[in-house]
Amino acid sequence: MAEDDSEWVIESIVGYLGSPEWVIPVTDFMENKCTVFDDEDENKLSYTEIHAQYKKLVEKLLDNYMQEVGINEQQFLDACTSPFAKSKTLQSVFQPVLATDDFQMFRSLMVQKNMELQLQALRVIKERNGALPECLTDGVDVMAELQEQEMKILQEVLKKSKEEYDEEMCRRMRSEEEVGSTSSSCSDKPVSESREAHNAMTAPSQHGNTAKVSSKPTKKEESKTAAAGSAAKSSSTSKPKPDSGSNGVESRVLPAVRAPVKSSEPSASLIPESTRQSSSSSQSTAEVWLEEAHREAGFTKPFVELTTSQQEELQQRATYLRQQRDKLHALKKEQQKSKHTTTPVESPATTTTTNTIPEISAEEKKKLQKRKHLADKLKEEVIKK
Amino acid sequence: MGEAQKGLLSVIEKLKGSTEQEVRIVLLGLDNAGKTTLLKSLASEDVNTITPTQGFNIKSVASHGMKLNVWDIGGQRKIRPFWKKYLENTDLLIYVIDSADKKRFEETGLELSELIDEENLKGVPVLIFANKQDLATASPASEIAEGLNLHTYRDREWQIQACSAVSGEGVQDGMNWICNNIVNKKK
Repeated sequence: MAEDDSEWVIESIVGYLGSPEWVIPVTDFMENKCTVFDDEDENKLSYTEIHAQYKKLVEKLLDNYMQEVGINEQQFLDACTSPFAKSKTLQSVFQPVLATDDFQMFRSLMVQKNMELQLQALRVIKERNGALPECLTDGVDVMAELQEQEMKILQEVLKKSKEEYDEEMCRRMRSEEEVGSTSSSCSDKPVSESREAHNAMTAPSQHGNTAKVSSKPTKKEESKTAAAGSAAKSSSTSKPKPDSGSNGVESRVLPAVRAPVKSSEPSASLIPESTRQSSSSSQSTAEVWLEEAHREAGFTKPFVELTTSQQEELQQRATYLRQQRDKLHALKKEQQKSKHTTTPVESPATTTTTNTIPEISAEEKKKLQKRKHLADKLKEEVIKK
Repeated sequence: MGEAQKGLLSVIEKLKGSTEQEVRIVLLGLDNAGKTTLLKSLASEDVNTITPTQGFNIKSVASHGMKLNVWDIGGQRKIRPFWKKYLENTDLLIYVIDSADKKRFEETGLELSELIDEENLKGVPVLIFANKQDLATASPASEIAEGLNLHTYRDREWQIQACSAVSGEGVQDGMNWICNNIVNKKK
């Protein structure tokens, strides 16, 4: 009878120790507090404080659980000391409980957790960047290498955004041609549309932002505004001064690592948008960027010493860059397709692909016009200011 | 509520269910007394690369069929306030004195008497290591015992042991006293 009793109790306990009610708070605690635990021989005084907090947490959790289930401490003890509970598999389940009484065990759990998190971070970086930067592989703290890595990322972004811009221009040209070929089918305002397209052709640098907006229907209004604003700014001042450039740059250049205070999301989304400015200014802004980044890279911490939040931000940025790259790949593919289609368009002969395009472009053109209007308005506002 | 918590803790303590008898020993003393060196020599580790302890070290030593968990906590003045946090459930106190540092005998005596008055160390046996006996200027253990008024301790077992943590001389004698004493006490 007593054995039966302890059996259901132990099953219940083991169930509890595997349930979210237990696992989530305990894991949360460990993940939050493990960063100070290294595998140095000497223990830090702060470990003791954390261990005390851990004891409190576990006691609270177990107290609540025992009250809920209606078992007392003696039943708990009986169950846990029964032969069933002594099996190897269950021992590991009980480890977090035993760690309250055993500092060494607690310490090793925390050190292990810290290592796990660090390895995870490294793996994520590796996945996203293709390879680990050297400073992370040999454990040598070289901030110059980190700087170099940042520069590489920056250069890549600049290169890609330039490509993207060029592609956008190609698209723009293509859509102009489409206007010509579809003018008979969409009879709403064929004249104004073609004129607009013509406009864009004659002044590509000014209307560059509208062109790119057309290909990014999913972009947020906000980022469009910002992009249009910065595009307008740079087109009004043909050669942006370093400080006017850094105005935007400050928030936009790799905010993650060294400026954890700033919110990385909106500023990160600005990167490619603003680089897709007219090609004439992008060259000079690129220089400002790199200079700025270089200056800002004066932070001197190897990756492993950064706080988790900083590491997270770094990862976020890596993801973002990766997404951009993927987008670019997709665009490139599309462009190659469009090259095939544009050549036959020049001769009046129509292929199957051109047949499908007009329908979409008629829709798109309305959107395009709207956006263009919006962008122009914004531009006006900014310039007036 | 406080009682319930205490009960739960003792439950968890029993859960470990090791057959070995575990003994918790706290190793204290002024900075530069040689606590960490002593700890490492107990654990038969290299004693040549020791730096001032900023936190604490723990070593488990098996001796006389017991598992001695020795906690060595840094002795710098700014760390001493933390000593209190490590005294709970302590079975034995080892206090280390630099026998050659006569200028600080008074200071070390004050720290020791404060420890002796701690509630958590009530009745806990004390072993005093008169360390650094390998130095020519070291005072003999008997002299130190007198200076510390050890003979006035009536509420606990105590022992002073001359030793040199660097050479290992006298350390084992001290450990033997610990084991005999703990065994006597726990039985």
